[in-house]
Amino acid sequence: MSKHDLLLDYFNGQLSEEERKAFEEHLTECADCREELRELEELTEDLPFSSEPVAPPEGMKERVLSNITGTAGASDAKDNPEPSDNTITLGKESQQPEPKRKKMSWYKPLMAAVLTLSLAGNGAALIYMSNNETTEPAPPQETPPEETPPEETPEETEQPTLDIVQQIHELQPSEGVDAQATATMIEQSENTNLVVQASDLPPLEGEETYQVWVLEDGTPFRAGTFVTNEQGVGAVSYLMEYEGEHQFDTLAITREPNAHSEVPQGDILLSAPL
Amino acid sequence: MRVKDVDLFQRVQSQDEDALEQLYDRYEKLLFSFSFKMTNNKFLAEEAVQDVFTKIWSKQRNFDEGKGKFSSWLLTVTRNTCIDLLRKKKDTPYELEERDSLNETEPTPEEELEWKERGEEVRMAVGELSQEQQEIIELFYFKGMSQSSIAEKQDIPLGTVKGRLRLSLKHLKGILKEKKERGVRDDV
Repeated sequence: MSKHDLLLDYFNGQLSEEERKAFEEHLTECADCREELRELEELTEDLPFSSEPVAPPEGMKERVLSNITGTAGASDAKDNPEPSDNTITLGKESQQPEPKRKKMSWYKPLMAAVLTLSLAGNGAALIYMSNNETTEPAPPQETPPEETPPEETPEETEQPTLDIVQQIHELQPSEGVDAQATATMIEQSENTNLVVQASDLPPLEGEETYQVWVLEDGTPFRAGTFVTNEQGVGAVSYLMEYEGEHQFDTLAITREPNAHSEVPQGDILLSAPL
Repeated sequence: MRVKDVDLFQRVQSQDEDALEQLYDRYEKLLFSFSFKMTNNKFLAEEAVQDVFTKIWSKQRNFDEGKGKFSSWLLTVTRNTCIDLLRKKKDTPYELEERDSLNETEPTPEEELEWKERGEEVRMAVGELSQEQQEIIELFYFKGMSQSSIAEKQDIPLGTVKGRLRLSLKHLKGILKEKKERGVRDDV
């Protein structure tokens, strides 16, 4: 293959580092190839516009911009050191620069999406929960939520769905565990949505996940899987749909080797009676 | 008056966060949509946009005004970034997105309006090409495939790839030019 034939692969970044350098050198000598390259650029300049408009994912702007300014913060300090010999100190502590937000890697949007979802869908409940933060752990509800519901009127015209918080539980950490979690059950139409929010969880490794379970007489049912962010915070919103009738008595969070455990393999980190 | 792209670009390179945000807002959707077309994956597309702006901010890429429009340059950087990402992620299997599952939203700012009009023109023009011509453009430009892979895929000798591609692109350009001239006449 002659050098001229490498043009397309050069344009598409398909050359090895060595080939690329050689071709760029060739470009400086070969007017034909330069002209061909210029023509190729010109002939393809309209093509990006043929992409169908696609809405960027939720929160992408914040993620991208904070990653960029966050990353640059470190190199900034290296490149242009601010004069730090300012000896005038005011009565206060010297001003600390705002901590830059942490860099997130490419798969993180997944997690952020999960968080956004549960926050958006259950905003009211979460606000309710945070208002309750300082109060005593909620005692077990006096009235069982399975009480006979008021008569349904199925013919009714469509109504806006009202999410009703059925139960809120503060989970108790097991011995030696220093983490917090809250579980909220929200009635949405006919279904129950379980929202679990946890913080101060130890970091996960590899494919490990945190798994929420509801237990009935010691039999576990999966009730949501989540991972934590760098601050040890995680949340999951889970639609509780199980075959048959159940009287769950316990809610628990374990740490699992991956997202597929059918029965808990890890110890219970946090739990609450239902 | 509207700040020129080039001016914003220069301010971004001197670490101006406001300029970064303005430039980002101008191009977010176009770059994301183009990256999505290239990668067919939302996460990779977001990563591509992230990389492009990071490269600009950290001065790894420089725009030379003598070389044409800023937007063309930015799209070229984006395309190269996507090709890089695709190569790196080749071993990582990921699910292909259903294009239908993504919302198509109405573009609002002026660039997006221009893009929409231009996009329709280009798509219509591409539609007038033969199947083979459409395919070679897709494989070369949007899939970023090597010359030999294209030859294999289209079952043609390696030596004819460049000629066929060039002919297809020229044909496309010709159709676009004709449309534009006709458009101008229609407007009068």
